[in-house]
Amino acid sequence: MFIGKADELSRRAFMRRSGQLAALGAGSSYALGLAGMSEAAAFSSAGGYKALVCIFLYGGNDYGNTLIPFDPTNYNRYASIRGGNGDEGGGIALSRASLAGSVLNQPDTQTLTDDIQYALAPSMPRLKSRFDGGQMAPLLNVGPLVVPLTKAQYESGNNSSFPRPAKLFSHNDQQSTWQSSQPEGSTSGWGGRMGDLALSSNTNSMFTAINASGNAVFMNGETAVPYQVSTGGATLIRGVNNTRLYGSVATSEALESLLTTSHGHFLEADYSMVNARSIEYGGFVNDALENSTLSTDFGSGNRLASQLSVVARLIAARNRLGVNRQVFMVSMGGFDNHDGLIGTHEGLLSQLDAAMDAFYSATEEMGIADQVTSFTASDFGRTLASNGDGSDHGWGGHHFVMGGGVNGGQFYGTAPQVSLDSDDQVGRGRLLPTVSVDEYSATLAKWFGVSASEMPSISPNIGRFASPDLGFMAPPG
Amino acid sequence: MSEYSDDTLSVDKPADESPDNTPFEEQESSPSKSSQLSKAGLVSTLAAATAACGGGGSSDSGGSIISGIMGGTPAPTVVKPETDAEAARFLLHASISASPGEIAAVRDRGFEPWLDQQMNARNAQSAQDFIAAQGMDDVTSTDFVFNRGVADLMVWSQLLSGANPVRARAALALSEFFVVSTNTSSNLWPGSAMGAYWDILSDNAFGNFRDLIEEISLNPAMGVFLNTRGNQKADPRTGRVPDENYGREVMQLFSIGLFELNNDGTRRTSGGEPIETYTNEDVTGISKVFTGYDFDATGVTFTAAPDGGNYQIPDPSYLRNPMTADTSRWRFPRNESFHSDDAKTFLGTTIPAGTGAAESMRLAMDALFNHPNVGPFFGKQMIQRLVTSNPSPAYVGRVADAFNNNGSGTRGDLRAVFKAILLDDEAQSAAGLTDTTYGKVREPMLRFAQWARTSGLNSDSGFFLLGNLSDAANRLGQAPLRSPSVFNFFRPGYSPAGTQSADMGLVAPEFQIVNETSVAGYVNFMERSIDGGGFWMRDFTANYSAELGIAHDSTALLDRIDLLYTGGQLTEGSRTKILNALNDYTVMESSDEATKLERIHAAILLVMASNEYIVQR
Repeated sequence: MFIGKADELSRRAFMRRSGQLAALGAGSSYALGLAGMSEAAAFSSAGGYKALVCIFLYGGNDYGNTLIPFDPTNYNRYASIRGGNGDEGGGIALSRASLAGSVLNQPDTQTLTDDIQYALAPSMPRLKSRFDGGQMAPLLNVGPLVVPLTKAQYESGNNSSFPRPAKLFSHNDQQSTWQSSQPEGSTSGWGGRMGDLALSSNTNSMFTAINASGNAVFMNGETAVPYQVSTGGATLIRGVNNTRLYGSVATSEALESLLTTSHGHFLEADYSMVNARSIEYGGFVNDALENSTLSTDFGSGNRLASQLSVVARLIAARNRLGVNRQVFMVSMGGFDNHDGLIGTHEGLLSQLDAAMDAFYSATEEMGIADQVTSFTASDFGRTLASNGDGSDHGWGGHHFVMGGGVNGGQFYGTAPQVSLDSDDQVGRGRLLPTVSVDEYSATLAKWFGVSASEMPSISPNIGRFASPDLGFMAPPG
Repeated sequence: MSEYSDDTLSVDKPADESPDNTPFEEQESSPSKSSQLSKAGLVSTLAAATAACGGGGSSDSGGSIISGIMGGTPAPTVVKPETDAEAARFLLHASISASPGEIAAVRDRGFEPWLDQQMNARNAQSAQDFIAAQGMDDVTSTDFVFNRGVADLMVWSQLLSGANPVRARAALALSEFFVVSTNTSSNLWPGSAMGAYWDILSDNAFGNFRDLIEEISLNPAMGVFLNTRGNQKADPRTGRVPDENYGREVMQLFSIGLFELNNDGTRRTSGGEPIETYTNEDVTGISKVFTGYDFDATGVTFTAAPDGGNYQIPDPSYLRNPMTADTSRWRFPRNESFHSDDAKTFLGTTIPAGTGAAESMRLAMDALFNHPNVGPFFGKQMIQRLVTSNPSPAYVGRVADAFNNNGSGTRGDLRAVFKAILLDDEAQSAAGLTDTTYGKVREPMLRFAQWARTSGLNSDSGFFLLGNLSDAANRLGQAPLRSPSVFNFFRPGYSPAGTQSADMGLVAPEFQIVNETSVAGYVNFMERSIDGGGFWMRDFTANYSAELGIAHDSTALLDRIDLLYTGGQLTEGSRTKILNALNDYTVMESSDEATKLERIHAAILLVMASNEYIVQR
C-alpha cells in the first residue's frame, strides 16, 4: 500500500510537464495546445485518425463461462469440473444446448488445443456475429507475466530465476498490473504512455487520453494527463459561467479565482489544477459534442453503453477537438462472481455484448471503423473449479478485440486444456497465461503508431517474449 | 453478491433496480410525503423520549484508561487549546463539524477530557432505533424490504444528527477500512442489514479490535458482501472447494495487509525486497474457517409477502444475529454441518482437523489479531482518514504502540488508538499549518456532513431523505457506505500521477475520486445545497440564524465561517477575494432575510470552494 518514490522517468516527465503547464498558468487557453512535447521519431501518426478504447471489466471476468467448450469431449470436462450434470449443465456450468447458437467457427486451418470448439456465452449473440463478420477476435489465455513461465518454474518458488508478477490473485494489484505492469502504487499505465507518444500528433494534446470511467492508472502517462468526462459529456461548474452566482457577478468571479488558486501546498496545487482543467476545457468539449450527431442507438439502462456512447460522440467531434490519436477508457463492474455466477455473469456479458456492438456500429456510421479498436481487460481470470455457486480469483483469461482493423473471425493465443491438473494452470483451473499482457499491449501499440524502438516504454517486458506482434491487427496503413 | 459492484447494474435481482434511489424518489413505490410526515411526527416524539432516557451515556471505562497510562499518578495538567482556531482544528479532526459551543467546551475542559466525555457517551439513537422509529422495518409495507435507499437514510441520519459526532466520525473511518457496500449488500432488508453493520462499527468504535473483527466477520451484511454466508466445506464428489473471498480480504484489507511491516508502518525487507505476509496457500487454508455459516433464524417471524407474492418475508431481526454454523438454528435446519473438518493451515498456524466452527473462528481471529502488522497497518490508515495522508513513521509508530498496549497491557484498545491519533503532536502542532506536505483532501461526504451539521440542517420529515449521492456529475461524488468495492472509494497508497504530490513521493488517497467531473459536481452540489435550491434538499431546512445576526458585517460573517469550516486557515489572499465578493452585496442590519441570505450563501460556498478548505490541515 505504499507508493515508491518517483522514479527518474516520472521525475523527468514532471519537470517537463510542470515547466510547460506552470508557464501557461491556470488561465491558459486550450487553443494554445501542448504540441511538441514528445519525440516524433518514436511515433507514427500516419494513416489519419486512430483511437484505442480499453474496456475494463472490474472484479475479474470468469473465463470459463465466457468462452465455453462446445465439442462433446471438452464440454463434458467443463461440465464435470463445474458441477454440471452432463449436457444439462447445472452447478455453475451452462447447458450445452444453450450454447448451440453462439458457436464460434474458426477457419478450417485453425486447430485449437485438444480440438476444442468454443462457443461464446449465449448472452453474447452480437459478438458472435462480429466474430463471423471478421471484426472481432478472441485472445486466449492472456495475463500478466514478467517472463514466459512454465508451471514447474512457477511452482519452484524461485522468484529470482523465474520472476512472476507481484501479488497475483489480488484485485487491486492485478488491476494495476494489467494496466501498468506494476502492482498498486504504480503511477503510469500503457494507455497513458501511448498518449505520451501521441501528444505531438494532436493540436489540442489535452484531449489525447480521455477517461469516461473512474480514475485509473491505465490512463496516466509520464506526460499525458487524462481528461475525465461523464456520460453526459463535460460537467460544467454553474457558478463560473460568467453569470450571477447568488445574484452577484463578483461572487462568480471570486469563485473561479478561489478554485484555481493554491498557496504553496502540494495537495492544494494539484487540486486547483484539476479545477482549472475542468473550467478551462469543459465548455469547449461540450460545444464540440453538441455539434456532432450520431444516430447509432446505444440503448438505455446500460452504463457501459452510455460510456461508449460519449466516447463515440467525442470521436465524432475529433476535428473540432483537434486530435489525431486518442486513447479512451471505459469500464463496468460486478464481475467478482464468487457466488451467483449463473445469471449474474450472463447479464453482465449481455451488457458488454450490446455495448461493444453498438460502439462498433457507431464507428461504421462515422466511416472510421478501421481506425478505432476496442479491447477488453480485467483484473484476472477466475478458477475453473466451482466454490458451489461461483468461482474464485485466478490469473489468465480470455479477451476480445474488436474493430475494422482487427483480423477477426479466428482465435489468437493458445487454448488452455479443460482441466484442473494440466500444466497450463496452477491449481483449481487458475490459468497460467500463455500470452502476456505485454504482447497484447505491444500489438495494439504497433497498430496505434508506436515504433519498435519505443515499444519497451509501453510494454516493458516485451523483449522477453516471442511475439511483439500477435497478428490480430491488420498492418498499419 | 460480489465485492465488485456497479450500482447501476443490479443484475442479481431485477427487484433491486428501483430501490437504488431513495425510497421516496420513485412516486409509484413511495407513500406520499404527507403520510410520512404524520407518521414521522408521531414516532419522533417517541424517539425523543427514548433519547432522553438513554442518551446520557455511561462514563465507566474512561477513567481506567487514563489511570492506566498514568500509572496511578495524579492527573497531569490538562492541555487546553489556546485559541478558538486550535479548538476548531481539533474538532475537525475528531468530529464531523465544529460549533461555537463545542469550541467553548474544548477550550474549557481541554482536549483529552472533552474527548473522553465524547468517547464515553453511547450512541443516543442507534441505526436500528432510527429504522424502527421511522417504521422502516415494517414487514407489511412494500416500501422497505428490498429498498437500498433505507441504508442511505440510516447513515445520513447517523452523520447529520445526534449528539455523538465523535463516535460517528470514528465509525465512518472504520467503515472505510472494514468495507461493506450498500450497493451489493443483502437483497432483503438492505437498510436493516447496513444498519446492523453500522451499529457494530459505532458500538465498538472505542472498544477492542479483537471483538470488532470477529463481530464483522459474522455479521450478515458482511457475510453476503464477501460470501461467508452459504460458504460450504469442500466436496470431493463435485469438486466444490470453499469460497476464498472472505479469507483473502480479511487478511489483505481488514487485518494484516500484503507486506510485513515494521511497527512504524514501513516495510520490512529481506535482501532489499518486501516480504509478503501470506501466499495463496494461506488464503486457501484460512478460507476453510469461514465455511458452514448461514443466517441465524432463531426467533425470526415470517409474514406473507406484502406485495401479494408467493413467498414469505422474515422480520429483519436475523440481520442483527451473528451468522451461525449451528445448522439447527438455520431457517431450514440440517443435520449435517457444512463447516470444514479439514486441518486449517495459514500464517504458521494450524487448526487441527475436526475443530468446530466456533473454535476455528476464535483461533483464526486470534491469529490475525496478534499479528504484529495490525497496529501499524490499521493505525496508519486511521491516521490517513482523520489527520494526514502522509504521517511520519514516528507518528505511525506511536499509534501502533497504543494499539499494541494501551498502557494497561491491553492490545487492540481502539479508544487508545483514536486518542493517540487525535492527541498526537503531529496532529496538533502548528508546524502542520505551514508544512506543504501535511494534511489531506477532505472527503466530499465529510464536506457535506460538516456543512449540514454546522448549518443545523433539519430533516423536516425525520427520514433524512437524502438519496445515494454517489454520482460525480450530478451529486456529491461520494456517499457513506456506498463504496464501489471492498477496496473503499480510494486506496491508502494512491498517488495521483502527473502531479506535484506524486513527484514529491506523497500519497493522496482521496485524489482517486478527484477529476474534472467530480470537482465540478461538488461545487454545483454545494451551491444548491447551501441555498436549498437542489431538489435533494426538499426534506431539509438549514438554520442560518447565527449567520443572519451578523450578515450585515462581512468581516464578522467571514470570521465565523472561516473558523467553523477551516479552523481559521484561510489565507489573507483568499479572505480578501471573499470579502470583495461579500461586499458586492448591500446588506444592512435592517435588510430583509432574503437579502442577508444571499451574502451568507456566498460566504459559505466561497469558503467551501477554496483550496485551503479542500485540503484539511
